[in-house]
Amino acid sequence: MKLKRIVAFTRRALLQFRHDRRTLAFILVMPLLMILIFGYTFGGDVSGIKVALVDQDSGIRPTNLPGIPFPQGLFLADNITAFLDTTTLSLQRSNDPTLTRKQVNDGTIWATIIFPENFSENFAWSLSHPGSPIRPQIEVYLDGSNPTIASAVLRTITLAVQKTMRILTSTLNISQTNASLAFEPVYAYGGGDTRFIDYFAPGVISFAIMMVTTMITIILFVNERRTGTLQRLLASPAKESEIVIGYSLAFAVIGLVQSVVVLVAAIVLFNISVVGNIFFALLVVMLIGFGHQGLGILLSAGARNELQAIQFVPLILFPSILLAGLFWPIESIPSYLQPLSYIIPLRYGIDAQRSIMLRGWGLGQVWVDIVVLIVFAMLTITGSILLLKRKG
Amino acid sequence: MTCPTCGFYGSVKFEPPGKRTESVINIQQLTKTFGRFTAVDHITLTIHAGEIYGLLGPNGSGKTTTIKMLCGLLRPTSGHASILGKPIHDKPVMQQTGYMPQGTALYLDNTVHENLAFFAGVYGLTKDRFQQQETQMLRFVNLEAWRDSLVSTLSGGMRHRLSLSCALLHEPHVVFLDEPTVGVDPELRVTFWEYFHSLSQKGVTVVITTHYMDEADRCTRVGLLRQGTLIAEGNPQDLKQQMGTTSLEDVYLRLAGRKAA
Repeated sequence: MKLKRIVAFTRRALLQFRHDRRTLAFILVMPLLMILIFGYTFGGDVSGIKVALVDQDSGIRPTNLPGIPFPQGLFLADNITAFLDTTTLSLQRSNDPTLTRKQVNDGTIWATIIFPENFSENFAWSLSHPGSPIRPQIEVYLDGSNPTIASAVLRTITLAVQKTMRILTSTLNISQTNASLAFEPVYAYGGGDTRFIDYFAPGVISFAIMMVTTMITIILFVNERRTGTLQRLLASPAKESEIVIGYSLAFAVIGLVQSVVVLVAAIVLFNISVVGNIFFALLVVMLIGFGHQGLGILLSAGARNELQAIQFVPLILFPSILLAGLFWPIESIPSYLQPLSYIIPLRYGIDAQRSIMLRGWGLGQVWVDIVVLIVFAMLTITGSILLLKRKG
Repeated sequence: MTCPTCGFYGSVKFEPPGKRTESVINIQQLTKTFGRFTAVDHITLTIHAGEIYGLLGPNGSGKTTTIKMLCGLLRPTSGHASILGKPIHDKPVMQQTGYMPQGTALYLDNTVHENLAFFAGVYGLTKDRFQQQETQMLRFVNLEAWRDSLVSTLSGGMRHRLSLSCALLHEPHVVFLDEPTVGVDPELRVTFWEYFHSLSQKGVTVVITTHYMDEADRCTRVGLLRQGTLIAEGNPQDLKQQMGTTSLEDVYLRLAGRKAA
């Protein structure tokens, strides 16, 4: 294999995109549009969510429990309530948790936040008795039918709890670990403070490179065959592997540019939180690109012209959108459909991308995904080289 | 089996003119079948250095299949062929051959220069040699003014000329031109044949397929193909003399008719 020849393929393909402005626009604008449309429809800030607040916390008076570090007494529920964002939540107070739960069931309110009677007591107890099973519990009973609203409610509560904790730990000089341990159960309700857009952005980056690479490769190779340039290449000293790798590099460049554009847009417009290593994320993008470029070459053998190539779009698009976990977690699709997701390579790409970007995981922690993507890329690339050798 | 009326046996062979002796392409019993259909049926012929060899025949006679086998695009079902002493599937031999397929076979969304630069890269030309060759080629096919134009904006004739220069850029010893003059206006056809003769004069072997019989007259030698078999081969003048006709078309029709009878 000659590097110079491989680069000739890469260069030509990239120059083609420079001249073909519309395709270039497709490459960059498609993922941006997805981020914008879905970001604003699903991920935008919601406000005025009706939530009922039931505060039964009797608090701690300094006389009641001597020996614990609250000289002025503690009304923890009041502290947390004060920090609840009242733009996001439209709070109404109530004394009857049974009634508010019923209101949630009836759909008249989205959620009810219930602070039990011994809330502050339990907090103090858990501070002085680390490892004790008694924990302070906020009961959040909420309507999960709208994930955006549900997550907004939980996020608001979580933020209020975090703010309260920060103040408590600094003013009372409690060790951070003890304090945060005391509040662990709060998170059991929440499922974190991820917004839809945070969840969605890593998926879009994976999805965009997959769509662009597959579609453009199919069309490029249909054209190579139809115009006869491929015949010319196969009658040249260029090896089939050099052709395929040359194109792979072009798509690697495209994938990098695309991902950076999407990332910057997502960070600037939606302030998404990327905690992981960007280079790992870009590596995953490239692996997805390599595999789907091979897939594109293989599929291109089944299409005689662009019109037939377009017909592959729904075939690739729908399984990826619906089953690969782009919009919602795989756990939330019907269980009889879940096994299908295992055969969609994008599933692993999206999974790896989320773990890297949102959880800050390293490659070692997503090794299964990485191995699947590498195997997929090797299979399709070898397959496409063999295909070119056999029938051009 | 000998034909009862004329006494010819199978394919008719005529001696090439004496001066062309160095054989460049050797084809022995070359056969290609697609399922039950035999596209090329035991063709044997030798092509010499500097010849313009025309493969003649109607559509479906096996011209393109033969050329594709010689270029390494199709694997022969049986038989053997070599170019410059090397088997046709040898990748290094493809460095010495040029191929202009049917149709445009260019990257429409790249400029003239980018297409040439790309094929220069494919054939491993050095930067200096490419610059030299590009200037020469663009002058040769008269496209100097269009160097930075997108191929999609060029006329059909210009694309044809560019396509030819892409096949010649790396100065191959042998060029295969598959119907290079189909859909080309008469004026450009004359120009193309001037190109071919100048190549031949430089010692380049040109193998060309065509179904225009008038073009075949300009070849050094022609092979007449019918349903995959070589029915006659030789210098156009000799063939006409032999058959007692004034045009190659008549030669073809007589031979084809006789075979069919």
